[in-house]
Amino acid sequence: MRHAARLFAATLVVATNVHAQQNFVPKKPTEADWTAVAKLPDFTGVWEATFGGGGRGAGGGRGRAGGAPAFPAGPQLTPAYAEKRRANQAKGAEDSQAANCLPPGMPGIMGQPYPMEFLLTPGLVTIVIEAYSQVRHIYTDGRPLPDDPDQKFFGTSIGRWENGTLVAETVGFSPQTEIAPGTPHGDHMKIVERFTLTDPDTMTIETTVTDPEALTAPYTTTRTLRRHRAWSIAEYICEENNRNSVDANGKAGINIKK
Amino acid sequence: MQIRRFRELVIGSMVIGGLAMGSVQLSAHHSFAAFDMSKEQTITGVVSRFDWTNPHTFIWVDVTNEKGVVENWAIEGMSPNYLGRRGWSKNSVKPGDKITVTVRPLKEGKTGGMFIRAQIGDRVLMPTGTPTDER
Repeated sequence: MRHAARLFAATLVVATNVHAQQNFVPKKPTEADWTAVAKLPDFTGVWEATFGGGGRGAGGGRGRAGGAPAFPAGPQLTPAYAEKRRANQAKGAEDSQAANCLPPGMPGIMGQPYPMEFLLTPGLVTIVIEAYSQVRHIYTDGRPLPDDPDQKFFGTSIGRWENGTLVAETVGFSPQTEIAPGTPHGDHMKIVERFTLTDPDTMTIETTVTDPEALTAPYTTTRTLRRHRAWSIAEYICEENNRNSVDANGKAGINIKK
Repeated sequence: MQIRRFRELVIGSMVIGGLAMGSVQLSAHHSFAAFDMSKEQTITGVVSRFDWTNPHTFIWVDVTNEKGVVENWAIEGMSPNYLGRRGWSKNSVKPGDKITVTVRPLKEGKTGGMFIRAQIGDRVLMPTGTPTDER
């Protein structure tokens, strides 16, 4: 009987930890909460990475990464992950699953040649990403990161404001996402992004990836984005007329049947 | 006007140069493996359809080859999202337009390619247009 009670208590503790984030209930925003939002740095509107730099940036880095060094150092891999990367390259894939319209997830989704819109509301920063019509949520309401997160394309993000910089921490990534093209990540990859306005219409995003299994040093890239007040986010339904493809062996194809 | 034309040329050259070097990835969702990036080919024909669609626009052109046979060419361009912010619209290319297009041809002799530039009458269409809010 006593044993059963202990077991029950232990189960309860585990359940409490696992569900700390899922059970977090944000409070109803007050007028003061909305006033506080108005005092945050003005991230509103539509932003797009700038030309220049030519670096590929973090993560499935299929977009141009403005402001990055021309030839940024790639991620420094542990021997095991260097071998995984070599094995991936040896397959000679001509393309990634993005050709079949699978969104790249984090961190690659932040490096696409399409704009994103930032929405600030009490306790939450929402990023509407035009590429693949994706949405990220960065919770700034004080909830903790989950101890044992599900594996998601975007992971699970929390954020805080530090002297005008939004610092977002993200954990729990799908094995289908990559640190960089052909470079898989481990189960404990963590991404820290620092979003800062450097002048009224310029934002930098410094992205640092740490991964105890895959990386021997943090992998940091920086992008510069420009605000386009006149723009709005458009829909991007990749399946609308996708004629590109890649098969299981990595062979790229194109359908030109009218 | 002179400046804008020059700008378009510069941006166009940057893009083409970038594509050639592989340093600027302008295509969000696929590689250039299907195209022969070492070649340029120019075709002239009549537009039969213009797909103003994601993830890529397609200009379909009927081209009469040297044997007098009409071949249908499929020419992939940037997305309407990208081009629509840079001076293109769904009306930039219309069925019936006589068009001269330069492409990176598809491999294996398929009748298609990646858009580099085009001319319809006096109008020159560049692969990325020009940002309309920066003119």
